[in-house]
Amino acid sequence: MSARRFIRENSLGLVFGLLFLIALAGQAIAGHADFNQQQVTDGLQPISFGRYVTSADFGVDVAENWQSEYLQFFLYIVLTVWLLQKGSPESKSLDDAGLESDEKQRVGRYARADSPAWARRAGWRRWMLSNSLGLVMGGIFVLSWLAQSIAGAAAFNERQLSQLQAPVSWAVYISEPDFWNRTLQNWQSELLAVASMAVLAIYLRQRGSPESKPVGAAHTSTGVEG
Amino acid sequence: MRIWRALRATALGLLVTGFLGCAAGCADGGDRHAAVADAALRLLTAVRDGAGGAACAVLAPETAAEVAQTAGKGCADAILEEDLPTPAAVTRVDVYGQWGRVVLANDTMFLAVFPGGWRVVAAGCHSQGQRPYDCTVHGG
Repeated sequence: MSARRFIRENSLGLVFGLLFLIALAGQAIAGHADFNQQQVTDGLQPISFGRYVTSADFGVDVAENWQSEYLQFFLYIVLTVWLLQKGSPESKSLDDAGLESDEKQRVGRYARADSPAWARRAGWRRWMLSNSLGLVMGGIFVLSWLAQSIAGAAAFNERQLSQLQAPVSWAVYISEPDFWNRTLQNWQSELLAVASMAVLAIYLRQRGSPESKPVGAAHTSTGVEG
Repeated sequence: MRIWRALRATALGLLVTGFLGCAAGCADGGDRHAAVADAALRLLTAVRDGAGGAACAVLAPETAAEVAQTAGKGCADAILEEDLPTPAAVTRVDVYGQWGRVVLANDTMFLAVFPGGWRVVAAGCHSQGQRPYDCTVHGG
């Protein structure tokens, strides 16, 4: 396969991956400058870029955003199995709610020649494949949230010490307002984005986008993607 | 496909690097704990030995200035008049980023990283529950 063809056929993943790395690098540079500004204000020594990107401050800022994004996708993937939105291309057809038949899902004896091997198998292998997307997204959410809580506790304790106050344990930190403020401020924005996407896509169109209905589709048609 | 394998390996490498980097930075290692405790004990030892200059060298710049200003004399003389305890056993050391706390049997001290290493920001501190520690010696 030529490189040009590879790039064209995988441009969505490649472009978003590249944008992610650029944004992460930008966050690291801006965060480092912000951290050192505060250090100088407090009469302390500025820290190196390497020390900053391995610090709890940077870690908690990254992890709190990751966990909410993966939670958003996890909920969206799992809840859209059962929840519907009339007229939205983000929803399944109104009579398709649920796990659907083996025939429609092409599993077991309905598996085709090009189906993944575990779609044909019964038992835990089929269950794993059938839920692998939700499991991985949910798993990354849990790990990111855990990372947020660990890095958040360290960053919180650094602030505590700078204010001549005692540090707290991880168990105490996860009941602190700092942890829940960081968590919920991210959750609310993700949930708003999902709700508005599901509803706005009923009436609005983006020609050529698979996230939109075809421009001429009726507002009432559900589960139709362009 | 070879390209996909390379991309997967790169992504995995970035992830592992990130986690190892955080493991190194987020959980501050034993060397830093030892350095913080050492700086705290150097201050108390110098005060006990009447070495005011050596004691002030371990103080954070703002703290040394505050000690001198409050006493109306040089830091080296003023620090010896502060009511600091003699060196005692270290019972606990906490290090988070650029800050550290050393709890001794008879004192609690707060330290921060400065160009010359760890310096004592506050000493002779006593807990006040939810409020900041009350410290005999502190800057700002």
